[in-house]
Amino acid sequence: MKPVEVGPELLELASRVAPSVVVVGTGKNVGKTVVVRALCDAAAHRAEITGLISIGRDGEAIDASDALAKPRLFLQSGMLVATAREAIPAHPASEILDASDLQTAAGPILYVRVRRRGFYELVGPPTASGMRRAIDRLFALGAQRVIVDGAVDRVAALAGAHDAVIVATGASNVTTLREAVQNVAALVHRLTIPPVDSNAPFVRVEGGLTPAAAAQFVAEREQRQIVVRDPTQIAIRGKAFAALRSRLDLRCERPLRVIACTVASIGRDRYFEPREFMESVAAEVGVPTFDVYCGTVQAA
Amino acid sequence: MRTNLLCDGATAQSLGLEWLAAELEPVSDYGRRAFARLEPYRPGDEGAAAARAAQVSGAAQALAPESVEALRDALRSAPDASGAIARAGVGDTLADADFLELLRFCDALERVDALLPKNIPKPPRCSAIAVALERGRAGKFGFYLDDAFDRDLGTARARAAAAQAEFEAARGRLLASASAALGRADIASPEFIVMRDARSASLPEGVRVIREAPTYYLCELELDESALAALRRRDEASEVASSGEERVRAALSERVREHVAELERAEALAGELDVLLAAVRFTQRYACRPAEYHADASLAFVDAHYLPLQAELEREGRPYVPIALTLGEVAILTGPNMGGKSVALRTCGFIAVCAAFGLPVPAESARVALFAEIAWLGIGVREEPGGLLSSFAGEVVRLRDVLARGAEPALLLIDEFARTTTPDEGRALLLALIVRLRRLRVCALVATHLTGIAEDAGAPHFVVRGLREISEQAPSEDLDEALQQLAALMDYTIEPVGAAREHTADAIFLARLLGLDAEFIDIAWQKLRGREGRATRPRK
Repeated sequence: MKPVEVGPELLELASRVAPSVVVVGTGKNVGKTVVVRALCDAAAHRAEITGLISIGRDGEAIDASDALAKPRLFLQSGMLVATAREAIPAHPASEILDASDLQTAAGPILYVRVRRRGFYELVGPPTASGMRRAIDRLFALGAQRVIVDGAVDRVAALAGAHDAVIVATGASNVTTLREAVQNVAALVHRLTIPPVDSNAPFVRVEGGLTPAAAAQFVAEREQRQIVVRDPTQIAIRGKAFAALRSRLDLRCERPLRVIACTVASIGRDRYFEPREFMESVAAEVGVPTFDVYCGTVQAA
Repeated sequence: MRTNLLCDGATAQSLGLEWLAAELEPVSDYGRRAFARLEPYRPGDEGAAAARAAQVSGAAQALAPESVEALRDALRSAPDASGAIARAGVGDTLADADFLELLRFCDALERVDALLPKNIPKPPRCSAIAVALERGRAGKFGFYLDDAFDRDLGTARARAAAAQAEFEAARGRLLASASAALGRADIASPEFIVMRDARSASLPEGVRVIREAPTYYLCELELDESALAALRRRDEASEVASSGEERVRAALSERVREHVAELERAEALAGELDVLLAAVRFTQRYACRPAEYHADASLAFVDAHYLPLQAELEREGRPYVPIALTLGEVAILTGPNMGGKSVALRTCGFIAVCAAFGLPVPAESARVALFAEIAWLGIGVREEPGGLLSSFAGEVVRLRDVLARGAEPALLLIDEFARTTTPDEGRALLLALIVRLRRLRVCALVATHLTGIAEDAGAPHFVVRGLREISEQAPSEDLDEALQQLAALMDYTIEPVGAAREHTADAIFLARLLGLDAEFIDIAWQKLRGREGRATRPRK
């Protein structure tokens, strides 16, 4: 474990892999927005034109699900943002670059350039394909880098594309540190299943790999590669996935690239010991793990 | 396109009107709204229908296809500014996204104005609004509430930016000081953790604990007096800049409100133009010509095309054969299976629908009435699965409803009515129907396989010429090949029946060509000869 400037370090890792970086969380309130903000600040420090987009709704001052305060996104001038029409702040005025036909509950997605620094709420496209289109549009409008405030269940559109993935986890939504570590490890291992080896025997699973289908493969002692289109099609979580991974050769056609994890030791109703949490996660996931709150990193 | 004012859903489906609507689909929201309101001309509106068809045809001649596409591109690029226009009309202050829509709408109007010849009605350019919004143009397509809109706005924004910088500098000093005191590389989060074991002494000044855990403090930065004063100045300056922006929006919205009537007219005319251009494109693409309208309940055309089928055949690389027909009152159509009887009925309906909407029709020439109703009865009507009615009962109920509506004049297209009941009773019912239809002001074409109907009803009789040389064709085991053979052999020409014709048995030849075995076919021939007491010879 060593002190580090988290945002610049994460951005540097992402830059080596892809022009866009997606931050996904193991659940709500695991520090995802804090990571996004650190990345934005780092990109601004590099004077890169950065595009920002969210899957679903993010950046609002109050968490819509539990009415508690949430970190907001204070964006620097020059940034490009894809957000719903009703979410664009009236002040300071933004430059409206283009409109899209991607609809959300808060109106169509518009592309804007931040002209004066200010707080923004992000409301992104509700579908994975819409997200892909919006990311491509941000690049076309001049973004050198796109940062995506993402969600695991919508990351499918990014599979096989040129995106780096950061997985955020925290003390919320779990009861023990061990459970949190198992969950994030299962998620990272699921997202990073290797690509199919077309020279070796395989069986392709159409649609999602369900627990029932997986149990059938285990019962039949299937030795061939089990191939899904992308890792998000494996509908098995936590300990069950860990057990499955040891018995089946799981592969995908469109792999994802997880470059780092982040931890938030502070949950809404519990906390973990920060060093132990970060070290445990790093030991399990096999990628560098950062603590944005402590400003530290643990190598894999 | 309100085809429901002319025919029911089952008829629309039988005539392929979904295909027609897709061909006529406008490209802008304005056009789509106008298209949704489009009504058929009613009997008595012949002059207006003819004028509309002439307008479409004239535009089709005046505009090159590339110009039509360029105009449609211009309309396609126009965002839907109707909401903004309506809100401005009631005094709302518009948002920047509204101004972007209005600016792009004005851009589209200008492009349309430049591309459209003088003899086609143009939407107004709304130049006053275009000029008013031009100062906000950012790049080629964007909009920004620029400082140029208001002399004081730039000053207010500059002050707000300076105040923001001042506050961030003050906060940055505090952060740097806290980071140094805590031995941190940076503090990336508004809330940050300080480990207890790293702090033998108290926390540095300006760092406030917001939550304690056994091994750490969760902290945040506390602003000092200097930073708080900078924050107050920032908020005040920001408020002034915000007021300036709102003032500009209000002034622009008022300008839009002053021109709402012109903008609404532009919206309406842009929609009508979009509908017209779609009709022009249709006319050019399918070489349509204006029909001659008249008040008699009749229909006549030469070299008419049933376009939905033509499009399907073209996709398969197969030719389409146009047909000619003159239909006065009630006429009977007979002919072999797969000879195009149903297509002839559909062609009648399709031509009549096009004419009813003031469209040039896909025919070399046509003389058409405006019908109050077009109805399809018999084969081809999609039946509701699981309904209580049999096929026959369903037909009877539809016929009952059509007769009850009693629309005049009506065009009835009847495809093998009562085919699913006993031949004798089916024949009797069909004859009764023809008697009833002849009493009403109805134009009808009745396709049937039953013999002697025209003679017994005293109705004009048309026949599809049908298959040529089919008896010489070897059976095919490949269905696609057999269908291609059939298409090549079929003569779709419709001709009036004069003297009594020899009965032909193309159905048995067809069955052989489509792969039924020789023994099966031989027995069929024997049964037919036994029943008719004479040898049946194929036509040459």
